[in-house]
Amino acid sequence: MIKIENLTFFYSDAEKPALKDVNLEIEDGEFVLITGPSGGGKSSLCRCFNGLIPHFYGGKLAGRVEVQGLDTKNCSPRELATRVGMIFQDPESQLVTMDAEREIAFGLENLGFSRTLITKRIEESLDTLSISHLRHRTLHDLSGGEKQKVAIASVLALHPEILVLDEPTSELDPNSAEEVLSMLERLNDELGITVILVEHRLDRVVQHIDRLVVLHRGRVVADGRAGDVFIQNYEELTEIGTGIPPIIKLAHELRKTGINMNGIPLTVKEGRISLRNALQKAYTRKLQDDEIGKNCVKPVIEVKKLWYAYPEGATALKDVNLRIGEGELAAVMGRNASGKTTLVKHFNGLLKPAKGKVLVDGIDTREATVAQLARAVGFVFQNPNDHLFADTVEKEIALTLENLGFESREIRVRVDKMLERFNLKEYRKQYPRSLSVGEKQRVALASVIVAEPKVLVLDEPTRGMDHKLKRELMKFLQEYTAQGNTVILVTHDVEIVAELAGRVVLLSEGKIMVDGHKRDVLSRSLLFSPQINRLVQAFQKYGIPDNILTVDELVRVVR
Amino acid sequence: MLSFRYKDKGTALHKLSPFCKLAWLVSIFILALIFDHPIYLLLLFLSTLPLVFAARVWREWLSFMRFAFYLSLAIVLINALVSQEGSHILWQASFRLPVLGAPLVALEAIVFGLGMVVRLLAIISAFVVLTFTIHPDDIMLAMIKLKLPYRSVLVTSLSTRFIPTLIDDVERISDVQRSRGLELDKGRILQRIGSRMAIIIPLLSNSLDRTVQVAEAMESRAFGSGGKRTFYRELKLSKLDTPALISGFSALALGIFMRCGGWGNYQYYPTLERIRLDGFETFMLSLLVLILCLIVPLSLLKERIELD
Repeated sequence: MIKIENLTFFYSDAEKPALKDVNLEIEDGEFVLITGPSGGGKSSLCRCFNGLIPHFYGGKLAGRVEVQGLDTKNCSPRELATRVGMIFQDPESQLVTMDAEREIAFGLENLGFSRTLITKRIEESLDTLSISHLRHRTLHDLSGGEKQKVAIASVLALHPEILVLDEPTSELDPNSAEEVLSMLERLNDELGITVILVEHRLDRVVQHIDRLVVLHRGRVVADGRAGDVFIQNYEELTEIGTGIPPIIKLAHELRKTGINMNGIPLTVKEGRISLRNALQKAYTRKLQDDEIGKNCVKPVIEVKKLWYAYPEGATALKDVNLRIGEGELAAVMGRNASGKTTLVKHFNGLLKPAKGKVLVDGIDTREATVAQLARAVGFVFQNPNDHLFADTVEKEIALTLENLGFESREIRVRVDKMLERFNLKEYRKQYPRSLSVGEKQRVALASVIVAEPKVLVLDEPTRGMDHKLKRELMKFLQEYTAQGNTVILVTHDVEIVAELAGRVVLLSEGKIMVDGHKRDVLSRSLLFSPQINRLVQAFQKYGIPDNILTVDELVRVVR
Repeated sequence: MLSFRYKDKGTALHKLSPFCKLAWLVSIFILALIFDHPIYLLLLFLSTLPLVFAARVWREWLSFMRFAFYLSLAIVLINALVSQEGSHILWQASFRLPVLGAPLVALEAIVFGLGMVVRLLAIISAFVVLTFTIHPDDIMLAMIKLKLPYRSVLVTSLSTRFIPTLIDDVERISDVQRSRGLELDKGRILQRIGSRMAIIIPLLSNSLDRTVQVAEAMESRAFGSGGKRTFYRELKLSKLDTPALISGFSALALGIFMRCGGWGNYQYYPTLERIRLDGFETFMLSLLVLILCLIVPLSLLKERIELD
């Protein structure tokens, strides 16, 4: 059992507390989900569970944290390691050895266990997570999901009673994330291990948890059964920017229009049942879409018979043909290693076609350098930390223009415009790396947008972003396309695509499988469909269009 | 791109105990340092080649040698220009520098440079064999067995563990910065250094963040804070490894004996000594090379016996 009483914590150089007056009791065997906007204190709370606060991270601590009867203040992380296992966000930086077997042994060796016991525990943990086939593989070669499973196994080997996972799936693709999450359910269900999980995306786990805790600005703002929290604290949660699963949002929206239902559905299945009355009526309203023209608009990106293979071997792109026009917002989707990133890296010349041609704004990419193409194509990568290196925010944004050879007066004007546009004025003289995640993201985006590229490519921009940041980004992208620019989005996030994109290009094994309007690509499919579409598929016979993708659309039809 | 990482290629050499290979490396290393004679050094270098082939690491070896080649060029060049001794003057400048006089290039200086290069190549080659035939974690274990402090060994092994990660980071960051219009190979050297900073700064900052995360993860798994540590893996030194181990040490012993007997000396300055090897010396030298190469057949023998 974990007991937290009046916990307040300041990091050593901070003025604001990371955690403020937190009171929390977690029973053995509970599955607790902790969520809330970035910077709300989720990671700090996790660090309190296994004594990293205050033993690893110094600072001012008031109140008490008791884990299985031990006060963490008087107990080192070493002593706590056999009681609380901790898994972190980035799989790459929590693995310290070269292969899975040694990785699992690491903690056991630290505790001085005998070789026989270590051997036994390794077998056990490999089997529990069904990863014995990975035992001798080099960890660096594993996929993100496999690495994360090895990390869990290495913690599980210490036989903890409590598992704490700090956003374990935010670096993973949906399939691996799904696997890791169901693994956690099993550990909780069958072995009775207490699981404390930090997650942004609730729709995948909400049905399995016993309890939902929402943190905002270091305080617990909601705590209870998921169903109750979403009824009682719905307004507050939306306001602070917590991600709410579409089905729950839908239920609330329908309530507002006067439709009654018992309780709040948490899953698509529950939704089908509790919304049955509301949706089983003859609806005649259809959706009206603005046509996306494949041929009528002037193309800015033209890919003709593109083939590409990496030097190590595997062919990454096979005979890809694609035209993307001005003002289009296209999403490139597909499994991991399906060639998405390889394809978009051709758009600004980072990769050059092995066979075939890529024309950007009429320029053959083989005849231009990346720098020359950078004026036409802006590229935003997932991690803003890879972007930032200047001393001040102002210089960071100006640098792109300097690279591209703009005049200094023009640079000043444009940088000011960007600082204004992205709300960064007060930070202009600050060191970009010391900003918060959201602010860093804005600086990175500003440093690309400042060149006013006709085409903006974003590679997995929403990975690990909280709901509020996602909203901000989506709003910006909509505005940017409205100005006649083209946005190309590489993503796994179906819900984002459902709301944002016009067109979806689906890749598989280096080939374009489907290319069309999001409504055609995303609806009526088994896995790629957003939650709302999976819901309406059941009510198609009552006249509800089966190509509805978002809450707003459904509400419009039903109202 | 070639990844400079250990890969278990499953050859007999890979299966040999790390201690044998360490003994062999130490022999080559020390012998390369105590001998001056270019023929001796060349033979030391050549005797690493059978291992390179037996372990099937020639591709990795070649790329290291390519790097070593540039280094060698620099060594020969600098030595020829800086060392102003030697009696066979190949070239003398027509101008005079204060204090130093007119710079000259002598045959002896070039040959001396070449001798140093061969010495360097022998050592690099031996290290390549070692790095690509022993699992990095096993090198760590061997070091610990040899009573080196655990923490320093762990730090070394962690840094090898993160090299591939670092390479990924560099690739990603340079993509990011190039997309922002950065041209890495444009302009004068100063400008080039400047543009490299756009990659180095994010790389260093990311690595610093990563260090904290790694430390945090290690601490959460009971690392440090006292208590005895055990080791899951055992470095086995079976009876079948003993011959290879002995061959490594006997090469060293023989070499030292020869050196004490006055062999393996060579005078580069002021005039190159004539190379003379009498029958007995040639015999002893061949014996030395033979013993150094013996590790290959011994490892094959071990594999064969283990299979039976």
